[in-house]
Amino acid sequence: MSQPGDITLEARNIHVAFGGIHALSGVDLTVSRGIVQGLIGPNGAGKTTLVNVLSGFQSPTRGHVILKDRDVSQDGPQKMARAGVGRSFQAARLFQDLTVSQNLMTAAIGTGLGMAAARERSESVLEWMELSHLAEQMGGSLSYGDERRISIARALALNPHFLLLDEPASGMNDAECQTLMRLIRDIPARFECGVLLIEHNMEVIMGVCQRVHVLDGGRSLAEGSPQEVQNNPDVRRAYLGDDAGNEAA
Amino acid sequence: MQNLVQILVDAVALGSLYALVALAIGLVFGVMRLINFAQADYITIGAFALVVPTASVSPPLLLGALPLAFMVGGVVTVVVLLALATERLAFRPMRGSDPATLLISSFAVSYFLQNLVMMIHSGRPKSVGIGNSLSAAIEIGGIRVPGTQLLTMGVTSVMLVAMVFFLKKTPMGIQMRAAAENFEMARLMGVKANRVIAAAFAISGIMAAAVSLLLVVQTGTLDVRMGLMPVIFAFFATVIGGMGSLPGAALGGFIVGFVIVALQAFLPPDLRAFRDAFVFMLVIGFLLFRPKGLIVNRAARERV
Amino acid sequence: MKTAELPRWQAFVQRHFAVLFIAACLVVFVAVVELFASVLVQRVVTEALIRIVIVVGIYVFTGNSGIISFGSVTFMAVAAYATGWQTCCAMLKPITMSGLPSILRDHTYPVYVSAATSVGLAALLAFITGLILMRLSGLAASISTLAILFILNVTYSNWETVTMGTASMVGLPTYITPWLALAAALLAVLCAWIFQNSARGLLLRASRADEVAAAACGVSLYWSRLIAFTLSGAIMGLAGVLSAHFLGTVSINSYFLNLTFLALAMLVVGGMKSLSGAVVGVIVVSTIIDVFRRIEVGIPVGDVTFSLPPGTQELVLAGVMIIILMFRKDGLMGGQEFRLPVRFLRQHRRSLEAKDT
Repeated sequence: MSQPGDITLEARNIHVAFGGIHALSGVDLTVSRGIVQGLIGPNGAGKTTLVNVLSGFQSPTRGHVILKDRDVSQDGPQKMARAGVGRSFQAARLFQDLTVSQNLMTAAIGTGLGMAAARERSESVLEWMELSHLAEQMGGSLSYGDERRISIARALALNPHFLLLDEPASGMNDAECQTLMRLIRDIPARFECGVLLIEHNMEVIMGVCQRVHVLDGGRSLAEGSPQEVQNNPDVRRAYLGDDAGNEAA
Repeated sequence: MQNLVQILVDAVALGSLYALVALAIGLVFGVMRLINFAQADYITIGAFALVVPTASVSPPLLLGALPLAFMVGGVVTVVVLLALATERLAFRPMRGSDPATLLISSFAVSYFLQNLVMMIHSGRPKSVGIGNSLSAAIEIGGIRVPGTQLLTMGVTSVMLVAMVFFLKKTPMGIQMRAAAENFEMARLMGVKANRVIAAAFAISGIMAAAVSLLLVVQTGTLDVRMGLMPVIFAFFATVIGGMGSLPGAALGGFIVGFVIVALQAFLPPDLRAFRDAFVFMLVIGFLLFRPKGLIVNRAARERV
Repeated sequence: MKTAELPRWQAFVQRHFAVLFIAACLVVFVAVVELFASVLVQRVVTEALIRIVIVVGIYVFTGNSGIISFGSVTFMAVAAYATGWQTCCAMLKPITMSGLPSILRDHTYPVYVSAATSVGLAALLAFITGLILMRLSGLAASISTLAILFILNVTYSNWETVTMGTASMVGLPTYITPWLALAAALLAVLCAWIFQNSARGLLLRASRADEVAAAACGVSLYWSRLIAFTLSGAIMGLAGVLSAHFLGTVSINSYFLNLTFLALAMLVVGGMKSLSGAVVGVIVVSTIIDVFRRIEVGIPVGDVTFSLPPGTQELVLAGVMIIILMFRKDGLMGGQEFRLPVRFLRQHRRSLEAKDT
């Protein structure tokens, strides 16, 4: 059993610019193993861009991504996935014409497992998420909620050290959302990993996360325990003030 | 020295011809992610519109019998209508399919058109005497330039300039560039897909008509596969230039033309028959070092 | 003991039903044709079986990776010439193909040796070209496979002393019987099935569905694509050997764009996302071709002969392909493999449950 906090995925002073637009300007963030860390902020705050940087889909214009004391800023998504950084997407992006279990096996094989071991891992992840009944369904035939759950399961099948979830509950109703959040809370212990959870909804995130990081306009606004963040005047202004309150659903 | 200038003239003429074809392919690719094999058949059919459909190897003239302006206008009309018809009937229903599906459907459309021409005109090559007067060489400063080369350079440079003007200055052209740069974004910003795509096909038709007339004047022959090689070379021109980049396509066209002429001139005589094989090998060799082409279209990478 | 084994047997049939079903159908079909049909029909069937090898060969790469290959018949041509050099016309070779190295020019090899080396050569060439092409993105790779096709065509058309240029090499031993073609088709189908169910095959199919998500799963495509391309090249090589020894002649222009079109049309009509689709496409398209060829020649209806102008068959084929792409993009099989009928499974399960209780 590894100690929580022994290995980290770090963003150091990350800048990302598209043409003239600065999506991120100087963000520092550390994801530690063993906890769920929230990443919140209004639309366009740069949350998804930060996840793209951390998972190798976007190389930073400036700054570094450090994984286990190694600079991985220029590593592509494949390398990052194999080094233990799993992610989900805002859209589920399942492999439509593969079965659910093949979807999970793809991730397991991606990390270097053989067919048999991959099947075992797929079965165990599905069992833990209580989704075994879907194993032989086609990825393209699932209901919306199942699609989203399977996309998380697929990222878990990487057996990641760090799991980055991009609005996993979007479009779910309250009850579905509650169930999903309970599940996410249990992920760090079960898979010995750290979770970075992007979420719009402040209340949802307060119930699940041990730490919360707030982004606004491409900058870090605050970081701390849910309580600290909630009481932070800057955050209150961003969320309740005139300029951004309408966007924060 | 003289020889070298001669080669240079050839290279520019051929390069600009391929640039024209590559630009037509690049335009259509830009607006709907379709690599259009049928471009070859637009060229072929434009040329065959000059003659009466018969099985004869030296057929009587049809559009080719008209005065120059009407002949050119007629061929352009035929090819533009053909391009629009293929868009409307075959490609529009498939819009939004993945590029691989579109690619294979254009292969099918091309095969259909090619066999249609063969059915109507028979598969034999034909000779046609249009622009014979142009084949006489003109001497400029001690260098003999065939009239057809001058014509080719003249026509292609006018068209390339017109194209640049169209793309930079007209609203439709600007929309087309926007679509080529970032297809989804252009769509979101209200580029009217039907009109822009139809316009791109129409322009590719005009370019194909020009190329078919130039080819007929240069060679004096009609063949059901006459459009094939220019289009295949133009495909590679777009890949070399960087897919989705219009300046890249034109640049790639010139490069391919230059390479072909250079190989023709400098290969040892017994290897000249293998010229095209060397061209393709150079293309592949080039892609080994720059798999994304010369001008990388940043938006080409899928948004996550 | 028996009840314990039965589910395993059933599971095996269920998992591999597609390939078992295809094999059974083909075997029965060839047996019937061999017993009852004329020599002419036997030839048509043999030709169709060779086409199965061709289309399955393209499917192994194109179907799994989603990258259209226009260059696969290149490897067929390479193998056809290679086996021709080894087996044909011992007396004429030194005259007509004087540029061959002595080891080929002055010797004739047993047909199976030559088949094996020719397939090996095709696979090797596919591997080498794949080393380069598989680095490219999907569309650029597609277009570049055309380059391979043209390089080979130009080279072999002009390499007079070795390939006889565009003239046909004649006098190859014609040893391909329907049963032999069947064996080759089954081998190709089996290889394709094993590959698509392997880890590499799964990764490729995932990337075909969504390349971005595949990257997030750590899937790097280069080696998977290269292996598929090489296997595809080997199967195309097998098809080349078959066609060469079926016809007894080899000529470079029969391995060019027309054959490429025909093979892709078959793959599209059946559906390029499944092995069953590839096989179904061959059978359906071969039937269409044969019917229209007969009508083009003329069919007597009463006193008059009804016929269509030559070239109709090509137009119909292209038309069918376009219509399929428009209305049923995944082909007749819809991207699915043949499945054991659900009713059968349910009944079987019920009888098992009845036994348990």
